[in-house]
Amino acid sequence: MTTATIELKTRRVPGVAGFDTSFMVSAIVLLLMTGMAIFAPIIAPYDPNQVNFMSVYQGPSISHWLGTDSLGRDILSRMMFGARTALLGPLLVVVSSTVLGILLGVLAGWRGGWVDAVLARLFDVVFSFPSLLIAIMAVALFGKGLVAPVIAMSIAYAPYVARLTRSLVASERHRPYVAAYRVQGFSGAWIALRRVLPNVAPIVGAQSTLNFGYVLAELAGLSFLGLGVQAPAADWGAMINEAQSGLVGGHFLPALVPAIAVVIVVVAVNIIGEELSDRIGGEIPS
Amino acid sequence: MNLLEITELTLDLPNGVRLLDGISLTVAAGETVGLVGESGSGKSLTARSVLGLLPERSTAGGKVLLDGTDVITTSPSELLALRRHSASMVFQDPRAGINPMRTIGDHLTETLRLCEHLPADQAKERAIEMMASVRLPRPEAHLRQYPHEFSGGMLQRVMIAGALSSSPKLLICDEPTTALDVTTQAEIISVLTEQRKSRGMGMLFITHDLNLAASLCDRVYVMSAGRVVEQGSAREVFSDPQADYTKKLVAATPTILVGDAEAAVPAELVPLAPAEPEDASGALVVRSLSKSYAIRGKTPVRAVSEVSLEIPRGGALGIVGESGSGKSTLARLIVGLESADAGEIVIAGKERTAPPRKRQERLAHARSVQMVFQDPYLSLDPRITAGKSIEDALRLHSKLTSTASRAKVIELLDQVGLTEKHADARPRKLSGGQRQRVAIARALAIEPDLLVMDEATSALDVSVQAQVLEVVADIRRERGLTVLFITHDLAVVRRVCEETVVMKQGEIVEHGKTLELLTQPRHDYTRHLIESVPRPAWDLDEAIEEAS
Repeated sequence: MTTATIELKTRRVPGVAGFDTSFMVSAIVLLLMTGMAIFAPIIAPYDPNQVNFMSVYQGPSISHWLGTDSLGRDILSRMMFGARTALLGPLLVVVSSTVLGILLGVLAGWRGGWVDAVLARLFDVVFSFPSLLIAIMAVALFGKGLVAPVIAMSIAYAPYVARLTRSLVASERHRPYVAAYRVQGFSGAWIALRRVLPNVAPIVGAQSTLNFGYVLAELAGLSFLGLGVQAPAADWGAMINEAQSGLVGGHFLPALVPAIAVVIVVVAVNIIGEELSDRIGGEIPS
Repeated sequence: MNLLEITELTLDLPNGVRLLDGISLTVAAGETVGLVGESGSGKSLTARSVLGLLPERSTAGGKVLLDGTDVITTSPSELLALRRHSASMVFQDPRAGINPMRTIGDHLTETLRLCEHLPADQAKERAIEMMASVRLPRPEAHLRQYPHEFSGGMLQRVMIAGALSSSPKLLICDEPTTALDVTTQAEIISVLTEQRKSRGMGMLFITHDLNLAASLCDRVYVMSAGRVVEQGSAREVFSDPQADYTKKLVAATPTILVGDAEAAVPAELVPLAPAEPEDASGALVVRSLSKSYAIRGKTPVRAVSEVSLEIPRGGALGIVGESGSGKSTLARLIVGLESADAGEIVIAGKERTAPPRKRQERLAHARSVQMVFQDPYLSLDPRITAGKSIEDALRLHSKLTSTASRAKVIELLDQVGLTEKHADARPRKLSGGQRQRVAIARALAIEPDLLVMDEATSALDVSVQAQVLEVVADIRRERGLTVLFITHDLAVVRRVCEETVVMKQGEIVEHGKTLELLTQPRHDYTRHLIESVPRPAWDLDEAIEEAS
């Protein structure tokens, strides 16, 4: 009897709010990472770029929790500062690709006809290039650093957002409530931007969250290739790049720490994104 | 022994909600038993429990004896045997219950081969026989056809044939004709009655339509909120209801039968015929309006052709027709959602044929005509509260301050029988009837010359429908509003409109005073439509007696 009652209580009743553990853990992890990035100058034990040839490749110790790298820099401090570029880049890309994608998607979905057809072909063209390739081309044209890849990847990711927005808006457009607004005398632009867009935005937003993980991994990859954030600045991708030579000598920690940081953040963001889009689903939340 | 014997059936959800509360009912062989009630009364749940189709994680109590076996406690394999041989079910939406990728033949022979282990050729023969028995026109050819080639009515016959192929002793019909037109409904019902008679089956028929239950059933059970509130012979229950709920339901159900000295609407509602000379033009004048839709590779479909009609100021005109008759297209043309190919629309003396383009045109058109849509669940923006949606409309059309418009919103809500507290509710929190009231208030906020109601009550339960129709009648009395009422339901038209137009395939086939049209239809189609409306079996008996 008692077991049965306990079982009933722990079951998730549909419609009752409450996120599961993996979601909560992911949210806490992201919050910690963000806090770490913001307060890095205060909480980091060392200057991330302080070279110390006296203590090269040290293992974890009380003075250096995660050890030191080939130049004797404190890995923990570098990881904390590295979180700044590692998180800021994807954030900028997600925000700007979402804004761009939503605008184009609403335009295509609401207007339909030739506007839709032209935009659809345009998206196909962008889709046909891997986003990393576009980012590398941007670096080739505008030089190394974070700015060019961020802009390039915002453009590369916009079609994903636009295509989702387009299909949502196109189906929303035929709903009776839109016809009701028209009959009341509202203009098409008002209905599209003030009423339909807010209705589809949560779904698009949840999907965009998923992009954050991909972008983070790709930007880290770009820095790893030496095309993104430049040494000696601390960045997770650049840190892995610099640590390559050490791997041969059996010094795994300088590469492993930033790599694990990338994995943790990507997994956490994906769990949150999946959960959000599952919850919001294809339905308009009310 | 009875074929089906349900005693004290209860159904509980783990969160403590009791869905069914002590249901007892019986069905004997050869008997048609009706289960009537409004949405959420538990009638479908009761019927589904007979086949062991219970909601997930629910716990059932009591007994459901089907052919002597208790469905609730029996093993899964015995339950399968019961479903295969003792009882089968016909559902509301035939299209949802059939695999669109497979042929009708596949659908019908599959059961036979699986349950009766018939070889392919025999199964095919039986399938053809079954289709002939439900009066499908070309059984041989149908075998190779796909569901999308069938109309709703034909597909429902296929589903009935499929349900009957296992020769069940009990046939459960869950609103099998609700999605269909009246004339199609009449055909399906006659097929069902014929099969029940020839096979001596018991039939459990679930419906929300009291007239249909009265025309078909020997005995009925009336359900409300998970309980049986009344039972008895159909005639007793409907002509002399005992329970309060049944009384309300019977009173709310519109009928097309015209009683003694009864007018279509209370006398005070009938407008004082052509009022003043200046109004002679009428609130709505439609002259030879046409609209066709081009379908790629096919000849264009004429949705509306050469339609002319007129409503005097303060009048109410009903447009009746089955699906595909063009009545909704006509409504969309009038409110400016579609553009006409030819003809003209004049509302309150102003030309309103073309859909509005510029801001001034849009606003002027909106003040001429407003519309209440069919489905209140879809016609309100899910994110916007009731009050806000009315306020939006108000502030677009007037220069009211926010406090003044708020006061006006509450006044409008009050007019449709809602209160201030409904203003802050999102549509999700409102019931179907409340939503439709909000939609009406929103339309009235603009103070239009004409209100178009496109099947505005067909998605609602009868008692709610009656309330909404009452609201419309009140507003007409108070404001002298002109109403164009579009519906498939003749009985509703009779309650609301003094004049009625019958449409078929985009054309008006008959036009006249509602009462005259119902009592002395001139066109064959109108007559067919009226005859198809279900009416209590005893009324027919009396009519036959009188005739002889």
